[in-house]
Amino acid sequence: MASQHTDRGEREQPADDRTGRSTSGTDTKRRGRAVRGVAGAGLVLYGLGKRSLRGVAAAVAGGWLLLRALRGRSEGGGTGGSGNWTAPREREREPEGAPPEALDVQRSVTVERPAEELYERWRDPETHERVWAHFAEVRAVGEDRQHWTVAGPRGVALEWDAEVVAADPGKFLRWKSLPGARVPNEGSVRFRSRGDAETEVTLHVRFDPPGGRVGSALAERFDLVPDAAAGTALRRFKSLVETGEVPTLEANPSARGAGDLV
Amino acid sequence: MRAVCWHGENDLRVDTVPRPALVNPKDAVLRVRASTACGSDLHVIDGLIPTMREGDVLGHEFVGEVVETGEAVEETETGQRVVVPSFIGCGACSYCHDDLWSLCDNTNPNAAMQEPVLGDSTAGVYGYTHAFGGYAGSHAEYIRVPHADVNCFEVPDELDDEQALFASDAWPTGYMGADFCDIEDGDTVAVWGCGGVGLMAQESAALMGAEQVIGIDRFPERLEAAREHAGAETIDYTAVDSVVDRLDALTGGRGPDACIDAVGMEAHGTGLAHRYDRAKQEFGLHTDRGEALRQAIRAVRKGGTLSVLGVYGLMDKFPVGVLMNKGITVETAQQHGQRYVPQLLDHVVEGEMDPSYLATHEFSLEDGPTAYRMFKEKEDGMIRPVFKP
Repeated sequence: MASQHTDRGEREQPADDRTGRSTSGTDTKRRGRAVRGVAGAGLVLYGLGKRSLRGVAAAVAGGWLLLRALRGRSEGGGTGGSGNWTAPREREREPEGAPPEALDVQRSVTVERPAEELYERWRDPETHERVWAHFAEVRAVGEDRQHWTVAGPRGVALEWDAEVVAADPGKFLRWKSLPGARVPNEGSVRFRSRGDAETEVTLHVRFDPPGGRVGSALAERFDLVPDAAAGTALRRFKSLVETGEVPTLEANPSARGAGDLV
Repeated sequence: MRAVCWHGENDLRVDTVPRPALVNPKDAVLRVRASTACGSDLHVIDGLIPTMREGDVLGHEFVGEVVETGEAVEETETGQRVVVPSFIGCGACSYCHDDLWSLCDNTNPNAAMQEPVLGDSTAGVYGYTHAFGGYAGSHAEYIRVPHADVNCFEVPDELDDEQALFASDAWPTGYMGADFCDIEDGDTVAVWGCGGVGLMAQESAALMGAEQVIGIDRFPERLEAAREHAGAETIDYTAVDSVVDRLDALTGGRGPDACIDAVGMEAHGTGLAHRYDRAKQEFGLHTDRGEALRQAIRAVRKGGTLSVLGVYGLMDKFPVGVLMNKGITVETAQQHGQRYVPQLLDHVVEGEMDPSYLATHEFSLEDGPTAYRMFKEKEDGMIRPVFKP
């Protein structure tokens, strides 16, 4: 891509190691924790072994399960062991985004289109959905609100709602996840004109991966989750806007069958 | 459909695979009429270029007939006979606009795999590893061509398939290599390698006005082809003590004005440097044997041009001090085929050049593994095998 760089920026040190969370004491709960721990660890290993986006999703989901086991957190308002989770409707819904210790990723790409047009395209729900399709299912649930679902194998899914919190048409957009998100996150996209016809698009994403410091360390160690998701999203956006389509290996013939989507 | 597939290092098989379909709106599906093996396939077959997956369809140099077109295809039509460059362009990004097609930003679905290594990404290619896009190759009955309108070039009726086939890769690569040399009257151009690309570079250099063309190889039939088709003087590097000294002698002590490397990462050579390269490659300490490239750098005249067409990995032993002290200009790229194909087809129509002699052997797809074995060993005077699915 024309002008892409990774700039992790200044990352703040984690404020604490999150010890001292509630622990449960019953045998049943302990057994549940053990099961989740094994399942989580398995998913992490499976996911990292795959080294694909689906694998990344599995690792993320696995990291979350593992963390819950390690922390001994109770089920709370979730939907049991399936891992599906939706923010409770009754809770206060002011967007809060990612905490200070979140991972921080910034990627840029230069696109052969004016900034105003790119801003409009980014805000178009259909474009937005296709841009993130490699990583998540993004569904518009209101003018400024999206529901994100990151799907892993075996029915494990991470879901959250995000809301646009700042917009400067033609230039800038910022969104944040709503309270209670299992992957607290926020992001912004900036469109900076370069000459008459080119625009530098910079995507800045911050998120707190499941697993806290463990998850962050894993994500950093393998340099997969944030960079892959953000870089590929920008690349897909550029291709979609410049050519009208996203390059794909769907239905690609091989002796493995058809299709090489990761 | 049937296809020649990679199953591992030196393990090619002919498999039945799904037929490609239209996926994106600008796609076309072609029935392959002729597809040829490229020397760069041998690096893949030898396991020197990573990210092949078991079952991948090989082949990136082909002529076909358009059988289906997507809804957004405007100029390419069903029934047309077309030649397609190996690197896939989108026609819409800044690189395609600048005629730098192999650098296209929008055709490599696996760009993220290249970035950690290259610091950026190339265009996608057919049948040439997943880092280079992962697209199924042309040694098959059918192939999907993305962005058909900018990648399909209709073959004039008076040309047969073999006359157009090498305008897909070997010829535009060689032609670009000669174009890089900014050839002026009286220039001498030396070319390492007399395979498909090297022969095309030599003939193209002659066509562009080089007074003296020198071809370097070790196979008698390839050296003969260089003399016959490009009017080249030739050097059998196994028969001389020093290629560089020989070139000096042929150029009044100056060295060639331009040197073109059409060999790449599996160079053969003689002497200690070659044995050192070979040993490191055997032990997986590096991917490249760079003897041809090193010779070219030493041979080229001061202030001359080094044009690199050979495919390399991450060569760790490159005499940059020689480049610097001699003030050498380095030009290199994967081929920007779309820039050259129309004029190449014109050259054939006008009778100025005809690359069909490269097609020395014809096979069915079923003979794929045999054809590649012969190609690798240069058996029976083979320059290029051509598959007729």
